[in-house]
Amino acid sequence: MTSRLQLTLALARKDWRLFWADRRSAVLCFIVPVLLASAFGMIFHRPAHITTGSKLPILVVVEDDDPFTRQAAADLLNSSRFDAREVTRSEAEAAVSERRPAVAIVLPAGFSRLKNWRPGVPNERPRLELLHHPTTTAERQLAEGVITEVVMKRIVSESVGNFMKGREDAPAPPFAIVPASVSPHPQAQFNSYSHSFCGMTLQYLLFWGMESGLLLLRERQRGVWIRIRASAAPLSCVIAGKALATGFVALLQVLVTFCVGNVLFDVKIDGSVIGFALLAVAACGLASATGLLVAAIGGTEARARSISIVVILGVSMLGGLWVPGFLLPAWVQEVSLALPTTWAMRGLESVTWQRGGFFDALPSFVAVAGFAVVLLAVAALKLRMTERSARQGHR
Amino acid sequence: MPLPVTLSLVDVTVSYGDRVAVDRLSLEVRRGEIVGLLGPNGSGKSSVLAVAAGVLDPTTGTVTMNGRERSADPAAFAACVGLVPQEAAIYDELTAVENLWFFGELYGLSGSDLRRRVMRALARVKLLDRAEHRVNTFSGGLKQRLNLAAALLHDPPVLLLDEPTASLDPASRDAFFVDLTRFRDDGHTILITTHHLDEAECGCDRVGVLDQGKLVACGSPTELLRPHAAERAVLYGHLRTRPPKYLERAIRRRLGSRAELEVTGRRLRLSANTSEELGEALAMLLAEGVELDAYRTPAGALERALLENNEEPLPQSLP
Repeated sequence: MTSRLQLTLALARKDWRLFWADRRSAVLCFIVPVLLASAFGMIFHRPAHITTGSKLPILVVVEDDDPFTRQAAADLLNSSRFDAREVTRSEAEAAVSERRPAVAIVLPAGFSRLKNWRPGVPNERPRLELLHHPTTTAERQLAEGVITEVVMKRIVSESVGNFMKGREDAPAPPFAIVPASVSPHPQAQFNSYSHSFCGMTLQYLLFWGMESGLLLLRERQRGVWIRIRASAAPLSCVIAGKALATGFVALLQVLVTFCVGNVLFDVKIDGSVIGFALLAVAACGLASATGLLVAAIGGTEARARSISIVVILGVSMLGGLWVPGFLLPAWVQEVSLALPTTWAMRGLESVTWQRGGFFDALPSFVAVAGFAVVLLAVAALKLRMTERSARQGHR
Repeated sequence: MPLPVTLSLVDVTVSYGDRVAVDRLSLEVRRGEIVGLLGPNGSGKSSVLAVAAGVLDPTTGTVTMNGRERSADPAAFAACVGLVPQEAAIYDELTAVENLWFFGELYGLSGSDLRRRVMRALARVKLLDRAEHRVNTFSGGLKQRLNLAAALLHDPPVLLLDEPTASLDPASRDAFFVDLTRFRDDGHTILITTHHLDEAECGCDRVGVLDQGKLVACGSPTELLRPHAAERAVLYGHLRTRPPKYLERAIRRRLGSRAELEVTGRRLRLSANTSEELGEALAMLLAEGVELDAYRTPAGALERALLENNEEPLPQSLP
């Protein structure tokens, strides 16, 4: 009498053979996540020596010939926060409309009246125009702040010029800002490649799960499914075999992707290795559950593929697999806690570049494993109902 | 002394919603016997086979294999059945050996026993030389032979074949039936569905004729092919083009009560009380310009049941 385990292994071996039967497609399964992770990592990569000195590109238009205005323009052009150049208004408008760059400052005629400004004295204030592309918010706000700082310094310099004459730090603010990075692990250094390799690996695990589910869907529409049903194999073994094969290939994907990341981009597991292993297994379980869910509720192959792609891309984006979650709006960050991808990403980032320990990864592992078990149970239940219905001739 | 009954269907009904696909069918198949289920598309042949294979539960009635119902021991029931679905139920991406190995494992076979059985099954269907070839390089005939080999692996006493020759050329069909006869002689019980009259006539020991889910006739091909003299003379034809309605009405008026004409799509049925009257009616039809691709006058119940609903062009050409 064949044990259920033997049957399950036989079914999993069959899927493993089918996976490798198309060698090119199988190899692509490993290459694509590596390529995408490399591309994403490269885009967001900032070498340590320039991360503190990134400058905002900006254009400066000067429409006033007064020496005070010229001096203010020179201060803007020389500001360490700006990568600025002077242009005419028409050139600035044309460039900003195409986001090349996205912000321009116009020092208008009459701007020099500011040199006579005194606190508490009502005067007509010159209007300093800030041209910006409609899609920019952060750049505009940064430019506003820096312009305010530079112009105020110039005004103060004009007002107390004689008094401060000869001093190098003249109109410097009477305080110093000292940046200090605060994180649970002080030695943690953000590595954009670590983030992108975690994110793209997770995303491709879900895509692999989808492909595996579509294979089951195709199988169920072919004669082989009748043969399998006519044999002694219980449905639970068929489901377990499919989950096992999908999970095993997914685990191989994780291994290959992170090995390549380590060799090429110094992606390391700086935190708990056991935590990483547990999270990898849970994420592979999630891929298996995704596949079975696709097969269970997908209906036709075309419909299942379309819906799955939308869902996977959606949960990838919201879960912070493409860009770090903190860049997303606050409400999205809160909503995304209901997604397994958010937890998986948090966990993987924790045990890679954030140097988190086993207990830092544990909540994420529990969450991802929980999602996988629930989705697997739903898929198994639906497949069982479908099979029962087929056996009864859809009565 | 007759051989024991291996497969028994008693009062089996299969319904899909409101539609009754199999209507209170009872059939016994004995050891070492090839029984053919003959009928047009939609007559319920595949449903009968699915019920016999245990992949479809009958709405009412019982199916027993060697006296045991499926519900008593599904694994033992499954071990008794070798199913050959109409579509080649094998993985195109795998080799012949990989396919058979997997299907063997499904039936609990393993190790050297499975290896021996795989080789034997390949030898039985003459595919040993293609053992390591991928199935997607096989012709339709070779795929069907591998399909059969997959059903033979666990040496089941009962083979159920669902229109196995549907995609085969005449030579492959003949070879396939030679194989089936050999398996019958080896002691297998074989239930096969077909809508080819010649297959039922030449390849089967007994034939059951299905019409709209009912078993309307069952017996040896010789019995079923015996003409029924008392019945009306009938001619079935396949029209080259459907005549216009006014012409149909005109022909019916001229035929009067001597003969009856029915046209459905490009299929034609002409019936009369005697064969002479039928001949006259046919001559009149041709004189009116009606063109027939082929026609056939059925000889007995077997042909009649088949031809009533057959969509395929009939084999006999006009002289």
